[in-house]
Amino acid sequence: MVRKAVRMFAETELGPIARDIDRDARFPWEVVEKMRPLHFFGLQAPKAFGGAEMDSISYAITIEEISRVSAAVGLCLTVHNSVGIYPIERFGTEEQKRRFLPSMTRGERIGAFCLTEANAGSDAGGVETIAVRDGNDYIINGTKIFVTNGGICGTSLIFAITDPQNPQRSAGVFIVDKDTPGFAVGEIEDLCGMRANPVSSLFLEDCRVPETNLLCRPGDGLKIGLVTLDTGRLGIAAQALGLAQAAFEDAVRYSKERQQFRKPISSFQTIQNYLADMATEISAARLLLYRACAVKDSGGLFSAEAAMAKLFCSATATRVTNLAVQIHGGYGYSKEYDVERYFRDAKVTEIYEGTSEVQRMVIARDVLAQRT
Amino acid sequence: MLNIVVCLKQVPMVSELPWDPATGTLRRELAEGMMNPACRAALEAALRIREAQGGEITAITMGPKMAEEVLREAIALGADRGVLLNDRKMAGADTSVTSFTLARAIEKTCPEFDLVLCGFATSDSETAQVGPQLAEELDIPGVGYVDQIAVSGRTVRMQRLSDNFLETLEMDLPGLITVMTGAYIPRHVPMGGLQAAFDIADIVTLDAASLDLDPERIGVKGSATKILSVTSPLAGKKNVVLTGTPKRIVEQLFERFDDKIGGAIGKDLKADKKKRS
Amino acid sequence: MSVKKRAIWVFGDYRNYFQNRATLQLLSRAMTLAKAIDAEVCAVVIGHEVGEYVMEYTAHGADKIYLTDHPSLKNYSMETYTVLMERLARREKPEIILIGATTFGREFASRVAKRLGTGLSADCIGLDINGEGLLVQMAPSFGGNLVAQIVTPERRPQMATVRPGTFAEIPHDYDRKSEVVQAPLPEDLPGDRVRLIESERCPQRGRKIEEAKVVVCGGRGMGSKKKFAKLFELAELLNGEVGATRPVVYADWADHDALVGQAGKHIKPQILFSFGISGAIQHTAACNDAKFIIAVNKNPNAAMMKKADVAIVADASQLCTALIQELKRCIR
Repeated sequence: MVRKAVRMFAETELGPIARDIDRDARFPWEVVEKMRPLHFFGLQAPKAFGGAEMDSISYAITIEEISRVSAAVGLCLTVHNSVGIYPIERFGTEEQKRRFLPSMTRGERIGAFCLTEANAGSDAGGVETIAVRDGNDYIINGTKIFVTNGGICGTSLIFAITDPQNPQRSAGVFIVDKDTPGFAVGEIEDLCGMRANPVSSLFLEDCRVPETNLLCRPGDGLKIGLVTLDTGRLGIAAQALGLAQAAFEDAVRYSKERQQFRKPISSFQTIQNYLADMATEISAARLLLYRACAVKDSGGLFSAEAAMAKLFCSATATRVTNLAVQIHGGYGYSKEYDVERYFRDAKVTEIYEGTSEVQRMVIARDVLAQRT
Repeated sequence: MLNIVVCLKQVPMVSELPWDPATGTLRRELAEGMMNPACRAALEAALRIREAQGGEITAITMGPKMAEEVLREAIALGADRGVLLNDRKMAGADTSVTSFTLARAIEKTCPEFDLVLCGFATSDSETAQVGPQLAEELDIPGVGYVDQIAVSGRTVRMQRLSDNFLETLEMDLPGLITVMTGAYIPRHVPMGGLQAAFDIADIVTLDAASLDLDPERIGVKGSATKILSVTSPLAGKKNVVLTGTPKRIVEQLFERFDDKIGGAIGKDLKADKKKRS
Repeated sequence: MSVKKRAIWVFGDYRNYFQNRATLQLLSRAMTLAKAIDAEVCAVVIGHEVGEYVMEYTAHGADKIYLTDHPSLKNYSMETYTVLMERLARREKPEIILIGATTFGREFASRVAKRLGTGLSADCIGLDINGEGLLVQMAPSFGGNLVAQIVTPERRPQMATVRPGTFAEIPHDYDRKSEVVQAPLPEDLPGDRVRLIESERCPQRGRKIEEAKVVVCGGRGMGSKKKFAKLFELAELLNGEVGATRPVVYADWADHDALVGQAGKHIKPQILFSFGISGAIQHTAACNDAKFIIAVNKNPNAAMMKKADVAIVADASQLCTALIQELKRCIR
């Protein structure tokens, strides 16, 4: 039922404009206005703070269905919910939750998680953004790049180190509101895909935030980061799954309509093999994702499962969208059809929120840590 | 404070009908279900009336077990409770029997109702008959094809377009209204209501026995009309295909169909044929 | 003592007489059906100062007219008309009652059928008498994608509402004669629980596309708002109206008034030009009454192409331009 409700919303409100917002790299504020009263900006947040308290599988379905129509908007939602709201909900004090969550669940303040820097991608230890204590405040200096939702963020979570001598153990997560003096949004990136999502740099120049904006204590940053990313991975996996699903549906429909050699191309074994492989991979990806969701909801450790889901779902998205373009032939390469957008959007799912290489590191660590 | 009953129907959600040419039947079970669009408008009207006047909304539907989904959706949107009329004996009912069954159920579950809202017609059978027949069955005034509803105390004022006449009508409650699609733009299901709709929704399922319905009077047995056969007129349609450059295609089009096109637009296209060749 | 002849009744829906020819069409069909079952054709007229309609119906096929004429019946009134028809039918026991599927007719017929405890088929696009002497009612569903053949084997009268335009009226013959049976207004008529406050004749505002003989519909295949705008020029040349699919209205290439679909306008043109429309059922259901469809699409297998009488495989926008050019040449 969740699937139907979200699909109906997505097809009605996002469907007609998905192609245009990608072409124009425009973030659809008008749809955001419609999403806000429907709790899309507080999907898993507690009801007490205006959220819908969805379980993880329903959440995954929601992100999948939105992404199936517009992966860029799906990205906005999953980043906002999983790595924007979630860390505050999980690690924040009651006071912090009261201060930040309601405006976020109402969609008035969109969340962003800012870790990546020019010298710190997969190597999170390379973070150079510094937060220096000054009385009851911290002064933050640094530049974050490739921030998803950067151009529209209201409440950002900034990953900064407090002691340059001891980066790993002194990292902290600071909640910074966009109106804070010293906080500035850079140019929106011109990207291959997910173009409707305003990804940008963020500049912090002597940005002063009270210590009450720090989540937990200095030094907890790494832990918060790791746990947050685990959760974020589920959302990205769902997003990738939505892309794969959309491409798959288009490929099936096209193969039934397109005739060559006086037959629909779906009657050729090669195409049938492709479709069979696509269907199987998507099924497998979905089950991996739902299993990870179930483990998370039951309270268990789900790092490895989340990494597997993200790894496999994103790989499936890339493979399936690639095949979908192939099945469409020349038309697949044209912007008249949606598959080329799915193809472009899919690639980044193997890169952000932990590249596939990093996911493999996480899984391998888990594998080798277990006593056999 | 108004006691509102909304009648809903689950119809197939199809961009292509699952028509089985081999057996000549509609494979309804292959199609996913959705709330009939006009029923959605009726529910939206109910929600807005309740927002203005206060009260309770009961959603009711007659159908197979899977029709329960539309009740859950109605609850997620804001209805207070749902009633599913489910019984094999009810299947195959024509509109008169359907209205009979619905009426008895309304009398049993909502005896103090003030207003009954229905969609003006369904997207599958498209008869638009159940609403008026339900009003007759309940012996209450009823108005169909309504675009605007204004409730004031125990009086309802309605506006509708009936065969080129824009009519304003009034009736006293209890009454029945069938609502046009496009009249009340339905709201989307909020994510917050979904879980509750599944876990704690107040849905009652009633069969023929619990409504004291005579099996001879319901379902296919009670129906006055019988379907002899069903055909799909569009299956196997042969058409003319034109290809080529746009200029060449237009030439072909005019060569073959200038009579038809000219007749419809009221201009003589033939006069120029000599000029063209 | 003669056995009373069987009767086929046609309800006189005389509102909008000049545009609404449904009653005349049904009288014509009733004549054909009546021959098959040896029946007479009767019209039922309820209203005030309706003498001219009595004449017209006689001239178009009625053998008998049941007439209820009273000042209080000046405007159509659902409940009153329902009761009058019910009582008349119970007394006279017609074999068949046919009613035009106008907005009024469909609701009216539903109520009458309910009160008489008989069956009713909606919006029929065909009527026949079968081997067993039963009225076979061809009723469409699923936006016209399916047609059911329905009979009412036992209950009487057999009733159907019929889609206007399904049958052709016979040319009027003012020499024909009919028997007019007065059916006076009963004393014990219950009051109407629905009060008509105001009735304003609608000046066809926004109904142009629904009445248009030629419609030019455009979908996403037109490519852009600018290219879509060419359809207006084409429609003008064709004396037609422009319609649009939902994605197009959403993208603001056309007004909401132009929406052709289940949630928008239903069209019944003689010719429908469909440009760059794939053919989602929500749209095609509203186009099923088009007599002749010319579809243009790059994809030869789009649903709309399969539905069309002429399927043109081409870029919608380019073909629109070519068509405009050719029309301009032809029509000076």
